[in-house]
Amino acid sequence: MTEYIDVDVRPILRAGGEPFSVIMATLERLELGQGLRLYATFKPVPLFAVMADRGFTHSERALDGGEWEVLFTPAEAAKQTAAPATTPSFENWPEPAVKLDNRDLDPPEPMVRILAAAEKLGPGETLSALLRREPVFLFPQLEKRGYRWLGGFTPDGATYELTVRAPS
Amino acid sequence: MIGASISRWTMSYFAMAVAWLFVALALMVAGVGFPAADLAAPDTLVLVHVICIGWLSLAMCGALFQFVPVLVARPLFSEKWALPALALLTAGLASLLAGFLALGGRLPAWLWLLPLGAVLLTAGFGLIVVDLGLTAWLRPVGPARFVLVGLASLCATVAFGAVFAFALAGWAGSVGQLILAGGVPLHAIAGLGGWLTLTAMGVSYRLLSMFMLSPDVDDRKSGTTLMAGALAIAVTVVGGVLAIGLFAGLNVVLSIVAVLGLATAALYGRDLFAIFRARKRRQLELNTRMATLSFASLAGTALLGAALVVTGNFAAHVGAFAFLAVFGWLSGLVLAKLYKIVAFLTWLETYGPVMGRAPTPRVQDLVAERRASKWFMIYYAAVWTGTLMLLIGLPSGFRAAAMAMTAGVIGIVREVIRTRQLADVASPLRLPGGARAPHLLFARN
Repeated sequence: MTEYIDVDVRPILRAGGEPFSVIMATLERLELGQGLRLYATFKPVPLFAVMADRGFTHSERALDGGEWEVLFTPAEAAKQTAAPATTPSFENWPEPAVKLDNRDLDPPEPMVRILAAAEKLGPGETLSALLRREPVFLFPQLEKRGYRWLGGFTPDGATYELTVRAPS
Repeated sequence: MIGASISRWTMSYFAMAVAWLFVALALMVAGVGFPAADLAAPDTLVLVHVICIGWLSLAMCGALFQFVPVLVARPLFSEKWALPALALLTAGLASLLAGFLALGGRLPAWLWLLPLGAVLLTAGFGLIVVDLGLTAWLRPVGPARFVLVGLASLCATVAFGAVFAFALAGWAGSVGQLILAGGVPLHAIAGLGGWLTLTAMGVSYRLLSMFMLSPDVDDRKSGTTLMAGALAIAVTVVGGVLAIGLFAGLNVVLSIVAVLGLATAALYGRDLFAIFRARKRRQLELNTRMATLSFASLAGTALLGAALVVTGNFAAHVGAFAFLAVFGWLSGLVLAKLYKIVAFLTWLETYGPVMGRAPTPRVQDLVAERRASKWFMIYYAAVWTGTLMLLIGLPSGFRAAAMAMTAGVIGIVREVIRTRQLADVASPLRLPGGARAPHLLFARN
């Protein structure tokens, strides 16, 4: 069960302020597996893409008076509890154009091959890769190049499944 | 951000640590401190703190600034604290050393330098403990738990050290004098056994299984090992302080700690065997082969300690015991891993941005293992010879061994600098379009 930290930016918005930095500051303080529950005076559509890049899926609910409650759930937790295909933000991802099994490669070869394959993807195409470990050094490289990704360990914890999508 | 970026100041910590290692080697070659002087002599205190704070602690902190974010897949709590912490530790150590020199009459009797050094060191280590502790706390499983216990031990070590420093300056009252009179073994065990050894063990679990393609050690197994180690440190600190407070001797406490320490080393050995047995990579890299010599030194330290206790010679040879632990086990492991970590980080920093867009070298292309291995062999052979010279009481032989150690370390450090400068990467691959050569002393992350 994902634990959510509440952020209510309605007072900031009503006062005409900019809530983005507060949301990002809260995000930095989240512990692994924790999600974010955001209250806003409008549906914060631009934030959805930003949060997806940071590995969060979202689900929103209209409140009274035109206000919104949005749940941002870490993709790893979402993936482990639900089938990836039903995760809302990622449901339009195409089938992987490339499938890599990098489980038995010496580090850092898995990262090298993923980046090499990612560079060859067409706009919006995806690749999938099987790994032994969470590729922590790969994520900043993907982020810098504008790729999105979704990853998580299989329930037995032996394989990390990663899907990378090229910028469209 | 999810993931781990390159730690900006890890190389700076490594560079400062290596500089202090050369200071320590120079002191040993020159015959300053133990064995030429008594174990408790001010000159020996200078030598011991150059090694344990300057060399080992700085190298360990530098490695942890990179390693802990990798363990928890989150950025460091605050990267901004790393450089001020290094400045505080360096200034604190310099002040502490000057205080010891004053204590030994080599400087005017400026004993206030000792508490000043203690305050600066406490501030520096405090920043590091909070920074790394808050980061490791995000995912306190597996090796991160070792780091947390190591950091707690560091706090205990620093607390003892600070009390000693104030007591030596005459500012700590009768309680301070009491703790100074009896607490030195507790300070040493918490520092070498808790902070340095338990942290090194935790780091080694992950690095070994990563580089040998071996599954991680089961959390329950490594948890047992950690429990034994943590218990040893807890008994040392709590039991030791109680014993001092009750004017009882430390013998009972130290006996319990010795048994727990042996158990920790044995359990760690069991875990290491499991990692090596389950490995998918048959051909071992130099850093792993050299790390095994460090594990052998740890086993040797445990056996030597047990043998000395059984024959009733421990007190007479505690210097040889500590020397093997510090240079065979800890320094050997740090040097071996330094060799690999610098190569990997340099590779990632230089080629990460262009990877997939241009041909890039492999990590192994940055190092020349055949050339490096002889320097490691010289180093280990010299350490073991030095231990033997201390045991048979031959100070001149020890100084010769220290000279050979220095030669080995110079060779290893030269290789590491060449790696950082990409000196062994052939020209077309060395700097593909868009890649920048790294700076020697810090990373552009």
